[in-house]
Amino acid sequence: MVEITDVVCSLCGCVCDDIVVEVEDNKVTKVKGACAVGKSKLMGHGRIESPAIRENGELRDCSYDEAIKEAAEILAAARRPLLYGWSSTVCEADKVGIELAEEIGAVIDNTASVCHGPSVLAIQDVGLPSCTLGEVKNRADLVIYWGANPAAAHANHMKRYSYISKGYWTEEGKKNKKLIVVDVRKTATAKMADVFLQIEQGKDYLVFSALRALLYGYEDVVPEVVGGIPKKDLLETVKMMKEAKFGIIFFGMGVTHTRGRHNNIVNAIQTTRAAHTHTKFNIMPMRGHYNVAGINQVCTWETGYPFAVDLSRGYAWYNPGEQSATDLLIRRECDAALFIASDPGAHFPGESIRHLAKIPVIQIDPFPNPTTEFANVVIPTAISGIEAEGNVYRMDNIPIRLRKLVDTEYMADEEILERILEEVRAIKEKEGE
Amino acid sequence: MVEELLIRNGVVYDPINGVNGEKKDICIRDGKVVEEVRNPKVIDAEGRVVMPGGVDIHAHIAGGKVNAGRLFRPEDGRKGREAKTKVCRAQSGYSVPNTFATGYRYAKMGYTFVMEAAMPPLAARHTHEEMVDIPILDNAAMPLIDNNWMTMDYVKSGDTDLLAAYIAWMVKATKGYGVKVVNPGGTEAWAWAKNCDLNDAVPYFDVTPAEIVKSLAVANEKFEMPHSIHVHGNMLGHPGNYKVTTSTYDLVKGITPYRDRPTMHATHTQFHSYGGTTWRDFESKAGAIADYVNKNEHVSIDLGSVILGDTTTMTADGPMEYSLYQITGRKWTNHDVELETGSGITPFLYSGKVSVHTIQWAIGQELALLIKDPWKLALTTDHPNAGPFIGYPIIISMLMSKRRRDESAADMHKVIYDRAELPSIDREYDLYEIAIITRGMTAKTLGLHEHGKGHLGVGADADVAIYDMSPEEHDAGKIQKAFLNTKYTIKGGEVVVKDGEVVAAPAGRTFFVTPECDSKLMEEMLVDLKAKFEHYYSVSFNNYPVQDAYVPNPYEIKAPWRS
Amino acid sequence: MQTIRLKLKEEITSGNAKIPIDVDSLTPDKLFGKNEAEIKAVKVWWGNREENTGDLFDVSVEGEAGSVEEVKIVMEGDLSRVKHIGDGMKAGEIEAIGDVDMHCGAMMTGGKITVRGNADCWAGREMRGGELIIEGDAGDNLCAMYRGEMTGMTGGKVTVGGNAGECAGQYMAGGEILIKGNTSILTGLNMKGGKITIEGDAVMPGADMTGGEITVKGKVLDMMPSFRFVGTTTIEGEEYKKYIGDLAMTEKRAKGVLYVR
Ligand SMILES: [Zn+2]
Repeated sequence: MVEITDVVCSLCGCVCDDIVVEVEDNKVTKVKGACAVGKSKLMGHGRIESPAIRENGELRDCSYDEAIKEAAEILAAARRPLLYGWSSTVCEADKVGIELAEEIGAVIDNTASVCHGPSVLAIQDVGLPSCTLGEVKNRADLVIYWGANPAAAHANHMKRYSYISKGYWTEEGKKNKKLIVVDVRKTATAKMADVFLQIEQGKDYLVFSALRALLYGYEDVVPEVVGGIPKKDLLETVKMMKEAKFGIIFFGMGVTHTRGRHNNIVNAIQTTRAAHTHTKFNIMPMRGHYNVAGINQVCTWETGYPFAVDLSRGYAWYNPGEQSATDLLIRRECDAALFIASDPGAHFPGESIRHLAKIPVIQIDPFPNPTTEFANVVIPTAISGIEAEGNVYRMDNIPIRLRKLVDTEYMADEEILERILEEVRAIKEKEGE
Repeated sequence: MVEELLIRNGVVYDPINGVNGEKKDICIRDGKVVEEVRNPKVIDAEGRVVMPGGVDIHAHIAGGKVNAGRLFRPEDGRKGREAKTKVCRAQSGYSVPNTFATGYRYAKMGYTFVMEAAMPPLAARHTHEEMVDIPILDNAAMPLIDNNWMTMDYVKSGDTDLLAAYIAWMVKATKGYGVKVVNPGGTEAWAWAKNCDLNDAVPYFDVTPAEIVKSLAVANEKFEMPHSIHVHGNMLGHPGNYKVTTSTYDLVKGITPYRDRPTMHATHTQFHSYGGTTWRDFESKAGAIADYVNKNEHVSIDLGSVILGDTTTMTADGPMEYSLYQITGRKWTNHDVELETGSGITPFLYSGKVSVHTIQWAIGQELALLIKDPWKLALTTDHPNAGPFIGYPIIISMLMSKRRRDESAADMHKVIYDRAELPSIDREYDLYEIAIITRGMTAKTLGLHEHGKGHLGVGADADVAIYDMSPEEHDAGKIQKAFLNTKYTIKGGEVVVKDGEVVAAPAGRTFFVTPECDSKLMEEMLVDLKAKFEHYYSVSFNNYPVQDAYVPNPYEIKAPWRS
Repeated sequence: MQTIRLKLKEEITSGNAKIPIDVDSLTPDKLFGKNEAEIKAVKVWWGNREENTGDLFDVSVEGEAGSVEEVKIVMEGDLSRVKHIGDGMKAGEIEAIGDVDMHCGAMMTGGKITVRGNADCWAGREMRGGELIIEGDAGDNLCAMYRGEMTGMTGGKVTVGGNAGECAGQYMAGGEILIKGNTSILTGLNMKGGKITIEGDAVMPGADMTGGEITVKGKVLDMMPSFRFVGTTTIEGEEYKKYIGDLAMTEKRAKGVLYVR
């Protein structure tokens, strides 16, 4: 038995890096310090066992070589290929993916486009006054969760970084902090709050604007009730915001995916800016997958843009809503698709799945999922953070290196993509002759 | 196979070796400059200007805030689009170009080394990941070590040996190059939305910025560090700050450097040379700063010269970016980093129609023209803060042509004739002086001349720029054009640019310094540091240092403890 | 007058995948002076490959043009995957028969485009001048800015016969938009100049506006809570409430005017 300390969890955007793992016979046998979901990932579960190609409707096992060659042929022939996923693998693999996209003139998009893409659009409009999670831990005396329920979705978030954590100026943990929760329902997180603002579905935008007007001192124009919230509660919230020494708003998909979408986040950020005229105020998205921040980073320094990047003309053109994966598929624009470390089969709207059934689909993933059901080429991989190492970015954009815990026969994502890229180049060279 | 190259009959400007416009051959073998070659490929440089590869002492090209700048400015991204070629990856961006474009565009200007000027230690992996993706250029990065709680604790206790141990650990852990200081104390104060002047106490830490700067300089000189401390002082961008600037210079006056270099490099001095009390009576104090630099040997500077037009400002100086955003109302990103530093980013337009910008524009050039010894200053725009690096050729042409300066001034706000000195200065730079401020001085100040950079002596790296201009050229427009796109750029003996096109894009190397420190001292320091990780950091101690995988092409410089 | 007919071949959009064609190279100013064979050889992007116009469109040319102003392009066939119609156009006329895809009339500086159908998102994006008429509905981001920019439409005139989607006229700085139907949320978001008239209903119009003028002749749903009522005024014989906003941008910057019936 070997005990490995400081293990980095490759599940959610918290990227906890103080996990202790016991390994016996090249298997993870015990996990200490991770949340339940993280633990289950680290312990391992059912795998795609072999590379496979679909023939007459059935997947037939084949070699890595054969699957990679088939994948390369599909991609090299495509006029509008889509490469999607990227947030549950390491940056080293993402880099090869972008190079592949450039080589074949593809649209490359990542899971941000169905989760925090709206946050990115908002940042492009107004910027993001933010900080690392350690800043929150050490300084925050007012924590606001808006449309987010960390008690369920990011189990360690409050304990490690925010409301319950203890730091330099927050030695007593939650005792000297205030918690405000804004949500349409009384969630588990809302039950812990000092103030819970129950907002009407889809009215977030109005409430943010009202808060801004109040923060700037125009109480006279704000109506008695906004978005289902009485003005007196808004005034109380504003008072708490002004009196805080260090406030932070964490927002989740409850705001990004209701009416107003990315403009809700613009308004949330504008609210933060308004609060910042009184005191220190920050805002941060609660990001889902462990490396969704990372693919956004890599894609940005390599192409100039974080997601939904169209490389069909050989340079990058960026326009979410046009080049996002779901838009392309619903509009039936793509003639081939590669999915890596993601499951559109489970998460994309039905219309896009119907289109995927008609075009060749390549899947690269350690685990079988609904996408496997219709993929034409399936390529299993090593699990990043367990069987392969590499860089990831936490939700606050802090880079952390995933560790390798056990050996594997499976190829890593990076290597598979490099092999596909090599094959594509060989095909193109041949065509050029 | 031996790769040989002969650059024949060029007019060579190699200031470190005292070569001033001599017609001279340069022999290259296996990536180095050698005495002679036998069977070389020949490049005919007859009548053209030849210089060592450019060395940029201060630019923001890689890392978290640069990328935050790219991410929040898709409108900048679409300005620099170029499709991929057989050699080049796709390019985007103007003030915040993608990593590939950064490498290609610098190489086209004849540069082969760039110093990334600010690396937040906690995010050092990010800076390195991007530097690996910048083709052609050799690079290095300076970790921010001034607002760190550890630093302030040791400044307060007065223990410069332990501070030195912390510097040693930090520079090594981040695979960094030296000690960067940005708004000492002020950035920590910004975590509470406050700021600090030079002699204010940092909230909760009971030390002053002046004490931080002085202690860091003392600690830095305990090692044989190739570079002095690199300082972005307090009150950047505030009217009347020139007094803070010279007071900051004074702090390190008595400290003996380990070799013949200054004890402080003061960066983007343009932003620190302001007179007046508000933006209304704002005026140039470049003369006062130049006077100080002329009379003293312990400070070197770089310009931070303004390029008119739109750009993206970014610095670890959070409060400064906030004030800038308050002026423009444009988008603003801020990212405070626990226990260490912060950063702010906001777009900015420098307009020749605006009085303040006009004076700023004049100050950068005045500094270059009023400081007598070019070995004391470097050409920078603090890319992209005062303008993008691809504006360097514009500044070169201004410094070389009084006529061009006069013509430009005539188009700008009239305030230039009342509150700046520039129109009255006649000095013009020659090519030798240009070579000093773009390679000789910068390589020497960074200590890189001892590692093959910034000169063409035997044994130097075969990094050469051949400019398509005659040494007699006086047309400012032609000078600018020549310095934007070389005839040839050679990096490590390989032709990477030919006729203004990138023809090869080899990977660059990352230079880093390993300060060596007594192990007992190190252990004592680590007790304090580990306690910080235990209680306050959100990342564990063992996951903090940059792993070797992030620096695939390393060049290590050891900095022994001075006995 | 010269009429250039471009009819998209049926097989181009009849396959499994409907891959869009970018036709920013097919504007009157770019085709002026070219004969039929030359027009057929103009390159257009279809997915990741450049093709000859003649391979994707049936091309015919009637008449002569002495200047760009005399060039009219008529586009026909299934245009629902034809993007960038009239993008960057400087002069002349384009008539698109049917529903058109995104970026129709984007960055146009002059001339006239008539869409006899609906236009998808980003029609009139960053328009600088000229006239754009959409007989049907317009998608989201009509006359808006490009991602990250702080200026949308600055000049010209746009008429939408039907409804418009989200964020019509975002960051608009000049020109005029008339929408005869309803608009979705946030019309005139960040608006700083120009004029928008909505004959139908609007939802949360004028948010974050700092200048310009929005008139809603129908109902306003979810009025912004950060506008100041300043009195009533009469427009074309009807009484309107006048609001100033958006105070969420601070009083100093809140110079937008919103008229609500
Ligand atoms: Zn700088």
